[in-house]
Amino acid sequence: MLRTSSHRIHSRAAFLRHVSASVLAVTICSALPAGTAHAAGTLAGTNIENIATASFDTGSGTVNIQSNAAVILVDELIDVTVASTDPGDVPTTPGAANAVLAYRVTNNGNGPETFRLTANVANSGDDFDPALSQLVIDTNNNGVYDAGVDTIYVAGTNDPLLQPDQNVVIFVLTNIAPTQANGERANVSLLATSTTGTGAPGTTFAGLGEGGGDAVVGTTEGDGIASGFLRVDAASVSLVKSAIVADAFGGNNAVPGSTITYTIVASVSGSGSLNNLVINDPLPSGTTYVANSMTLQATSLTDAADTDAGNFNGTRISVSLGTVPSGETRTITFQTRIQ
Amino acid sequence: MKAIFTLIIALFATASAMAAPVELNSEVYVERLQKRADGSVATILEAPKLVVPGDQLVFVVRYKNAGKQPASNLSVTNPIPRAVAFSGTADGTEFVSVDGGKSWGTLAKLKIGKPDGTFRPALPSDVTHVKWTLNQTLAAGSVGKLVFRGVVR
Repeated sequence: MLRTSSHRIHSRAAFLRHVSASVLAVTICSALPAGTAHAAGTLAGTNIENIATASFDTGSGTVNIQSNAAVILVDELIDVTVASTDPGDVPTTPGAANAVLAYRVTNNGNGPETFRLTANVANSGDDFDPALSQLVIDTNNNGVYDAGVDTIYVAGTNDPLLQPDQNVVIFVLTNIAPTQANGERANVSLLATSTTGTGAPGTTFAGLGEGGGDAVVGTTEGDGIASGFLRVDAASVSLVKSAIVADAFGGNNAVPGSTITYTIVASVSGSGSLNNLVINDPLPSGTTYVANSMTLQATSLTDAADTDAGNFNGTRISVSLGTVPSGETRTITFQTRIQ
Repeated sequence: MKAIFTLIIALFATASAMAAPVELNSEVYVERLQKRADGSVATILEAPKLVVPGDQLVFVVRYKNAGKQPASNLSVTNPIPRAVAFSGTADGTEFVSVDGGKSWGTLAKLKIGKPDGTFRPALPSDVTHVKWTLNQTLAAGSVGKLVFRGVVR
């Protein structure tokens, strides 16, 4: 924006007035931070002032003169980018509450700007739409969602104000339906929109720039959007039970007194792991349990409910497997005798 | 502040008393690319209504000998505003400084000291001052202009 029109100086009075004004302008200018330190460029509201000086000789000696000051005010460029800060798909589980995706909103313009934030869970190119819970501003600036510490975002109330080059991390919290299957992905996007305005690059908002100039929309059109992805990691367990009968005569007939060795193989598949996996198996009627016959991964277990994983309470065996990652199996055996 | 003010006024009062016959005028324009109807692109200069970082500026310094006597040894110096990266002049006859006006030369001969004690060739964006020295006497009534360009940092 043109601050003062350049004009010729004809009288001494005008010359002095002009010099006084330009000295003032220089003083104000030097109080501003150096514009060159910003990646975003010269700060909006900075005056660019150009004064030429000259010297020449006349018959009566060397004369120094100064031109008028041609001053232009740097206008505000509105530029914002949004980027996902998650390194890849964020794993979640069926039925999870407040699955967190993180985005960084950066003011690439040259003036302070306030941004409106909008999350969209219903994007195409994915398998399901989670339910939007809330948007949270990373108030303590550690890049990690801290429930109860970081501030919940309310559009129009605490729209973040970002200085040039400043950025803020925004968390988008969503809820996952309990029925979501393993491997399904959700595309969740965050849109940041300049509250001054948006439009095609070059769109101008007269007088709305920082420092009294105009605001002009930069190449990012005054808004930025980025997607983050959630991936459901659901693990499931399958049990395969087999039995081998051994009679007292070296054969394998199921007669009273024969021993039945049961083998249960628990296989965990899918993604992630299963926590607190416990296998219970009631004794078949007409059989009695062979004391201390339980094994887990070929290691004997005692019948008492103690520090090892297994116990027998008179009607069923129970083996606690703890956390089992997908792709792994656990093998349990125990024996009964036909009455 | 007041003392400085008085001093500056006094300085220029003295200069004025010597009846400076040469006038110096500074103007600045923004260079824009404008699409013509036939699809070609024209470069136009316009008054700087809207200026943002990255814009190309054209500075024009006009001089005129408004007196009745010829003036000799005319030398015009223009410090580059801090928010502007110098990119060159129209005629290439200038001398530049990259150290705030302490030393002068053609850009190709100037060097910038690096923190490790070595030097690198100066770049246009390092220029802090530009200066033209006219070899010929400026006759009464004659005019001229000097043009340089820069980019808003």
